[in-house]
Amino acid sequence: MSKLLSTAKTEVLFMGNEAIARGALEAGLSVATGYPGTPSSEVIETLAAVAKERKLYVEWSTNEKVALEVAAAASFAGLRSMCVMKQNGVNVASDFLLHLTASGTRGGIVLVTCEDPGALSSVNEGESRYFARMLEIPLLEPANFQEAKDLTKWAFELSEKIRNVVILRSVTRMSHASGNVICGKLPNKFRAARFVYDGLITDPLRGPVISTPVVAKHTLQQKKLKKAVELFEDSPFNSYSGPRHPELLIITSSVCYLYSREALGMLGLQKRVGILKLGCTWPLSAKLLKKYLRLTDKIMIVEEVLPFLEENVKIVAAGMLKEIGIKTFYGKMDGTLPSVGELNPDLVVHALGKIMKVQYKSLTESYMKEIKKIARLIPDRELTFCPGCPHRASFWSINTALQLDGRGGFVCGDIGCYAMAALFPAIGFNTVRTLHSMGSGTGLASGFAKLSAFGLDKPILAVCGDSTFYHAVIPALINAQHNRADITFIVLDNAGTAMTGFQPHPGLAVSAMGESVPDVDIAEICSAIGAKVAISDPFDLEGTSRTLTSFMAESGSLKVLILRQICALSPEKKGKKKYLMQVDEELCLGENCGCNRLCTRIFRCPALTWDRIKKKAAVDEVICAGCGVCYSICPQKAIMRTEATN
Amino acid sequence: MKKLLTKDPTNIIITGVGGQGNVLASRVLAGMLVSAGYFVTIGETFGMSQRGGSVMSHLRISSKSALSPQIPQGRADIIIALEPVEALRVLVKYGNPAVAVLSNSRVVYPIGVITGDFVYPSLDEIESALEKLTTHSWLIDATGAAVELGNPVLGNIVLIGALANTAMLPFDRHSFEREIAKDMSADMRKLNLAAFDAGAKMI
Amino acid sequence: MAFRAKKLSSQKLLKKGVLEEELCTGCGACVGLCPYQVIYHDRTVQLHYCDLEDGKCYAFCPRTPTDLSALRELLFNSDDLTPEIGAVKSYYFSRAADSRLRASAQHGGTVTALMELALAEGLIDSAIVSSCSQEFLPKGTVVNEKAALRNNAGSKFTVSPTVAAFNQSVNDKSGQIGVVATPCQALALAKMKTRPQEDESGKINQLQLVIGLYCGWTLSAEKFTKLLAQNSIALNSLKGMDIPAGKNILELYTNNGIRAVPFDDVQACVRESCRYCLDSTAEYADISVGSARFGNDWEEMRRWNQLIVRTAKGKELVELAVKNGALEIREAPADSLQELKKAAIEKKNTALKNIIRKSGSTKNLLYLDRHDPIVQKFLKNKASDKECR
Repeated sequence: MSKLLSTAKTEVLFMGNEAIARGALEAGLSVATGYPGTPSSEVIETLAAVAKERKLYVEWSTNEKVALEVAAAASFAGLRSMCVMKQNGVNVASDFLLHLTASGTRGGIVLVTCEDPGALSSVNEGESRYFARMLEIPLLEPANFQEAKDLTKWAFELSEKIRNVVILRSVTRMSHASGNVICGKLPNKFRAARFVYDGLITDPLRGPVISTPVVAKHTLQQKKLKKAVELFEDSPFNSYSGPRHPELLIITSSVCYLYSREALGMLGLQKRVGILKLGCTWPLSAKLLKKYLRLTDKIMIVEEVLPFLEENVKIVAAGMLKEIGIKTFYGKMDGTLPSVGELNPDLVVHALGKIMKVQYKSLTESYMKEIKKIARLIPDRELTFCPGCPHRASFWSINTALQLDGRGGFVCGDIGCYAMAALFPAIGFNTVRTLHSMGSGTGLASGFAKLSAFGLDKPILAVCGDSTFYHAVIPALINAQHNRADITFIVLDNAGTAMTGFQPHPGLAVSAMGESVPDVDIAEICSAIGAKVAISDPFDLEGTSRTLTSFMAESGSLKVLILRQICALSPEKKGKKKYLMQVDEELCLGENCGCNRLCTRIFRCPALTWDRIKKKAAVDEVICAGCGVCYSICPQKAIMRTEATN
Repeated sequence: MKKLLTKDPTNIIITGVGGQGNVLASRVLAGMLVSAGYFVTIGETFGMSQRGGSVMSHLRISSKSALSPQIPQGRADIIIALEPVEALRVLVKYGNPAVAVLSNSRVVYPIGVITGDFVYPSLDEIESALEKLTTHSWLIDATGAAVELGNPVLGNIVLIGALANTAMLPFDRHSFEREIAKDMSADMRKLNLAAFDAGAKMI
Repeated sequence: MAFRAKKLSSQKLLKKGVLEEELCTGCGACVGLCPYQVIYHDRTVQLHYCDLEDGKCYAFCPRTPTDLSALRELLFNSDDLTPEIGAVKSYYFSRAADSRLRASAQHGGTVTALMELALAEGLIDSAIVSSCSQEFLPKGTVVNEKAALRNNAGSKFTVSPTVAAFNQSVNDKSGQIGVVATPCQALALAKMKTRPQEDESGKINQLQLVIGLYCGWTLSAEKFTKLLAQNSIALNSLKGMDIPAGKNILELYTNNGIRAVPFDDVQACVRESCRYCLDSTAEYADISVGSARFGNDWEEMRRWNQLIVRTAKGKELVELAVKNGALEIREAPADSLQELKKAAIEKKNTALKNIIRKSGSTKNLLYLDRHDPIVQKFLKNKASDKECR
């Protein structure tokens, strides 16, 4: 049984995302939607696993905008719904979000955003807290795992009290961290959907759901926000702990609260510094802040990544200077804390130490000296494509084709495991030259291809994965076709949303809840758009580079090559090897080959290692996935492959 | 009788290479300790680093309260490593003279070593480093034992078994049996127990 | 603190010094040695980055700095050396004795006849020649039978990376090899001979015989294809080409008859690297063969070859061929050697002029050694030309 269904009062070890899911269940959730994105994906995954028992509808939508629209529909019909995404996704959903907060909502609806300060699994460390301020939506941030559950549950209540969407913000160190949580009650009543729309256009609860008349609805929206602030004033999620007369007041939210508390412990400052933990971080309650800003004239704000809380606290403080006095603020804006990257207890200790003039006793000099010496022994461990990854083979062929073509063509990259080809150029064989957001590779390529009129005459390629294709690439592809941008577009179809954990997408005939559903074929979409389409197996290096070379030589049309081969880690593959690989030590000339170790130095498969003693290549049978591609690259044909009998 | 923690909080780091079963190991360990009545906070990254990069799980065990999911530098009490150079990598950042290290001896070469850009330290150098930086260390061939049982990924469970016999933490074979009974089939339980026992034997 | 600049890899040097400078002749010497360089159409392509120094690719390339006087010393008798056309032991007109052979040949069929004989007499076990122009882009191919040799006879006007075929096909089992080579290819093969003998492959020791071809220039496949398209000539209808003496055209033999293209148009399609080549008679071969064309006797002379014997090995082969009745030789007409030397001088002067223009200085002669006595002779001539004006 999933621990998400644990009985009330049980203490369970929940991941932050699981706690959020549990909180939503306790609130009587009916519909959950999202798009996979680290660190958010587990919320939807765990809900999908209990969808049957809890009578939920759970969906992986094609992108975050659609996901929010689907969740909104449920809310309009009086159900409680949740939409989950990573920080990038809020940008994608933002146009709809803008109109949603203007039209208002009915059933409680919570937008959960799981952000990635420090970009541990992203190519940005953007923030969505500002959307709350800009779109005038209440913002909640849980500061520990118990709150991740409780605050989520309360978010639905808040949403229904003010009839607007509520944003709940988490970060990697909350979402992917785990801690003890005491469960609450799961409801045993399930709502029925009812969409009322006969009322006047000005009636947000009974009329059509619409953001007009704009000024009237905007006025209403601002009233809702004021109501939220009143509720924040007495909320148990905002709390102070510390001395009655602190020398320094820390104002913090999210996991930074745990860092701050730990830092105080490490420096022994618990009796001198107080912490105001805010769970409701937009709008800020002036009444609440006044109470605590009065306590001392030194205020330190600990948050990540941008100084959102800091700016807002200062704005509130500026409005009440007469009552609270002049304050000194420490935070990001004055350089006390770093302005980029994620925080941790050590950074907070360092900052606190400076302000409170306390030294943190760390390790002895002699130990530090030893550490320095040993640190020099440690080799970097770079990321690379997994053994058996089709992307390695795809980029190998793309490089071959680009070199043979000789005009200096390049690839516009996109988001997925294959993004690593841009992040670590050597594993993409130096072919990918741009990387931005989902679907942007094709858009950029569509732009580059029109620059031949300005003298840029090179073959332009774009890549994307199968999941990314449905998310954002289609409009860019249509753009390329319609505007006659001569690009070669390559779909790296490994049958799943691999980087985030194999969530299904419209290219697969299965849904988030495991049901059999129709798939939407990529090749057919591209043909319908009018492109010339070919399908190839990326493990066939020669065939793939031949097709690419001929595509690049053809001008005047949109060409699509779909490289189809299942991901090496796909659960469907069950770790089965197609081939057994071995290096023939007689045939391998090792360092005397003159190939300058093409197999290990250039190909970069972690299963193809170099035996330092024999000075020859060797296959690591434990991690080899048996894809057989390395057989084709050795000029001596020293890498043997035999069919595996599974 | 509830076994006590020798130090409160106890900070444990489980480290290895993405794909070695780091996450499962931390879950199993955490599960056993939660059942024993402790507050456990785990900090993990399941992102891109799973693609052959270095991964770490930080476990904070306390009888009093929840802690930050990131262990401060120099504050690890126990380091469990699925790969030897990762043990060193973690030691260098989180080690202190009182730390204990239990590590797998099986090497997974970083791609930079395979290409010849970097040099992987010798076993001697690793052993010497462990000696200099820890109060106690063990290097065992967990992967070897796992391969004998038919699946190299069981190396993580072998290490858990070994950890049990170091008696540094309040859990034993009994706790492990109860923990795996929650989610695993009978066949899987048998295999995992065999791995646990193989590891325990090595200490 | 001492600071040592990192030496560039051979591959990088090759790229910077030859490929990017458009000096690459497409001879194929750098291809087939490793997986990094390939020939695609008539371009040399580097697929991946190699960081080895002292590589064979750089050492074998005929357009990297070369000590030509050392090569000459190694291969030829100094008494035989001429500044214009290299070593000359003897100079004849020749043609294949077999008239059927002559019929399928470009001119006199001498090259094919000599290779056939060398094979028949066991002097070589196989020959590497450029493949028949059925495929527009020729490549090196290994043959060890008469019929195959004859099928591949005929001049090719785009470069064949024949040396790549040598690199790839020579192994323990291929025995002694003979190669038909253009001047740049002959030079590459000669450079291979000067590699230290501890070179583990030792393949070069299997090279027994090089028959060189006179060459003025070769065409860029890309440009020539465009030219043909402009003249509505389908690539696959092309059977052969020739440059009749005295007329300013290129004759194209197609399935639909003979077409002529103005020579000026063809000139524009010449491969860039040819402009920097000083060798019109394959000076580094054992034997060099060209067309006997000169002036008014074109129609008569078109079925004969010029033949230069340069080495003892070459002499041996020619004498054997004459003795066995495979080859007919006759004394060359009085002024033909003169004409040949004149043409050779012109090519050398033009090339030097182009080289100096490219490098911007008489002190930088790209791949040539400006201290080479032969190079100096021609430089001086140029200088005196200037002064005369």
